[in-house]
Amino acid sequence: MSYFRGRRRPSLACLASLVWLVCLSVMVVQAADPIRLTHDGRMKFTPVFVDGGESLTYVDFENPKVFRLRTMNWETKETKVIHEAAPAPEFDPAYSADGNYFSFLRATGGLQVSLVIRNRKSNEEVLIPPEPGFSGYRTPAIAPDSSHMLFSFANNFGQDIFRVEMNGQGRTALTGAKGINIWPSYSPDGKKVLFTSTRDGNYELYEMKPDGSDIKRLTDSPYQDIRGQYSPDGKQIAFVSHRDGNAEIYIANADGTELRRVTRHEERDDYPTWHPDGKHLVCVAERDGSHDLYLLPLSD
Amino acid sequence: MLNIGSFKTKTCSGIGRRSFLQMSGAIPFGLGMSGLGAVTADEVDDVVARAKSIVFVFLWGAPSHLDTCDPKPNANTEYRGPFGVIPTRTPGVHFTELLPKLAQRSDKYTLIRSHIQSAPGHPDGGTVALSGFEENPKPVKPNFGSIIARHRGFRGKLPPFFSIANGVVMDGGRRIEAYGGGEMGAVYDPFMVGASETGEVNIPALALMDDVNPLRISDRRTLLKKLDAVPRSLESAKFRDWNRTYQQAYGLITDPTARQAFDLTRESKQTRQRYGQSVFGQSALLARRLVEAEVPYIQLNYSRHVEAITPGFEFGWDTHLYNFSLLQDQHCPIFDRAFSAFLDDIYDRGLIDDTLIVCMGEFGRTPKINVRAARDHWPQCYFSMWAGAGLQTGRVIGASDKNGEHPITRPITPLMVGTTIAELAGVDSQARAEMRVLDGGRVIDELF
Repeated sequence: MSYFRGRRRPSLACLASLVWLVCLSVMVVQAADPIRLTHDGRMKFTPVFVDGGESLTYVDFENPKVFRLRTMNWETKETKVIHEAAPAPEFDPAYSADGNYFSFLRATGGLQVSLVIRNRKSNEEVLIPPEPGFSGYRTPAIAPDSSHMLFSFANNFGQDIFRVEMNGQGRTALTGAKGINIWPSYSPDGKKVLFTSTRDGNYELYEMKPDGSDIKRLTDSPYQDIRGQYSPDGKQIAFVSHRDGNAEIYIANADGTELRRVTRHEERDDYPTWHPDGKHLVCVAERDGSHDLYLLPLSD
Repeated sequence: MLNIGSFKTKTCSGIGRRSFLQMSGAIPFGLGMSGLGAVTADEVDDVVARAKSIVFVFLWGAPSHLDTCDPKPNANTEYRGPFGVIPTRTPGVHFTELLPKLAQRSDKYTLIRSHIQSAPGHPDGGTVALSGFEENPKPVKPNFGSIIARHRGFRGKLPPFFSIANGVVMDGGRRIEAYGGGEMGAVYDPFMVGASETGEVNIPALALMDDVNPLRISDRRTLLKKLDAVPRSLESAKFRDWNRTYQQAYGLITDPTARQAFDLTRESKQTRQRYGQSVFGQSALLARRLVEAEVPYIQLNYSRHVEAITPGFEFGWDTHLYNFSLLQDQHCPIFDRAFSAFLDDIYDRGLIDDTLIVCMGEFGRTPKINVRAARDHWPQCYFSMWAGAGLQTGRVIGASDKNGEHPITRPITPLMVGTTIAELAGVDSQARAEMRVLDGGRVIDELF
């Protein structure tokens, strides 16, 4: 059970202890000053490391009409657009840990968002179109062994997480269309999936098995807890919470216990992703009204 | 497209960029503003205007009222949405967690939660929101800004009605009918000006030739000669409109004081940062500069288009799909920061007593979550924010029912919005009758 679960009305003493514990943990979780990785200031979303950390792919809000997938060479920090000729917004990138697959979303019409699954070796693509009308996919995640993948899809008054084979076949609903279920993330061993759901009211973090069974709640806050990601060793999770007044990044044990705050700034810190070394996070931070990627060194 | 010049500006990120002033051949069809001195005031200001300037912040596409300023945390899950609520400075009033800065500034404006309107779609709803009347029967009634423009006339170096966006506001390929003068004529259309996320200002009504730097233009004859190259094949009446548009724009760029109103590089880096590196943020900063230049009416548009995640369109508030993600990822952070900075600036610079600020979409969004776990159009209930011109602030006027579906107090209509704006701008009932505008409109008494 999470440290925060069942504590909606704590006593003052408990509350004071809680605040003290959180303050203590804040002091130890970030080891050094963040390192700014980009400098253009444009809005960015969902960075994700590729090929063991050789590069970093993220979404660049290039202009008011376009999301573009952009990749950063981790060694040189040079960036380039992945699909120069893309005629439409592309976003929500995901890669398999074995490097075999790349998946992302492509807007193919008015509020029509298709899912693209690309075999990186053969360059063969499967495009899964949305249903007619306003329809589309979000937040794909590929199993570490590339055996299948997950995505979020809105239907039947809810937003469920679905599982498909890498050829796009065999769609299976996992979470039940209760509330909004989004941001699935596999554990490194592929045995668990971390996701966000509103099934109990507001956005909270949950875990489940890859077949959708054994759903457990990990967080409990009156404000958003979203975008959870397992650490490379699977022992911790990083996520975003608004529990302290704005979007900040937190780390907890994989079961939701021992919450620690990573960032503390009056502006937004969002979209955390683990560096493969497990000692750093990359996030999008708003500073002075601009959004850039930052590397956050973590203490042991 | 005729391209007759460019100039460098320093951007938010400190990088020099070329800002282009361009004019397309289509300008006279949609953007025709009269020439210098051609717009004459209908009457002398016998009535004292409480608002020298009006800024109408148009959240085009229609934000969800439940997910922003009228949350329903006790509604069931079919309605309430996934966001927590936070207290505002106004006792007992809560916003969702997506608008923390505006929640902290609720003492600077009054919130109305009981708007209704009659048109359910964007183009028609936009026309009602901006004119007070439906688009049919024709002719279309004028935009509120056109009424103010006609009343004030062209007295200064700047046009009396600006619309800030990178073009006429549109839904898909269709513009809002009431974007401008409507039945009063294109002479009362807004003068269009846009800003990029880095603070480059674009005036679509102008095309400057590449070898002319507008910061150094002094030879009118040279420029006129270049303009003679403009194709004369345009229909003569429209060419006259275009020529007047050119004259006005020429006046703007050749007059140093007028030109300064568009030069965001004159702002400190800190000021530009407070508004945020976004099109809406820098547009809001431009609006503040136009207020300082005493422009009578400024329509500050959140985006040019309503569409969200649609190829070829600026992303607006029309969130039929992924409403919650789009609000938390983009729209609310951008809006919360920029509009808060704008309010702060107007107050801090002592402009608030002479400026009226109205912020709203064309309608709200369905309180009941739709089949795609998002929200559709809902003209039966929505919100607005009002500040300045001596209005009492820190209040909430009107209320919606438990699910945010309908007002439970007197409904406030777009015609009432326009009538109140006009009244505060000094266009009293007699003037409105003489101009034959806003017929049947009543002032929102609760604001006074």
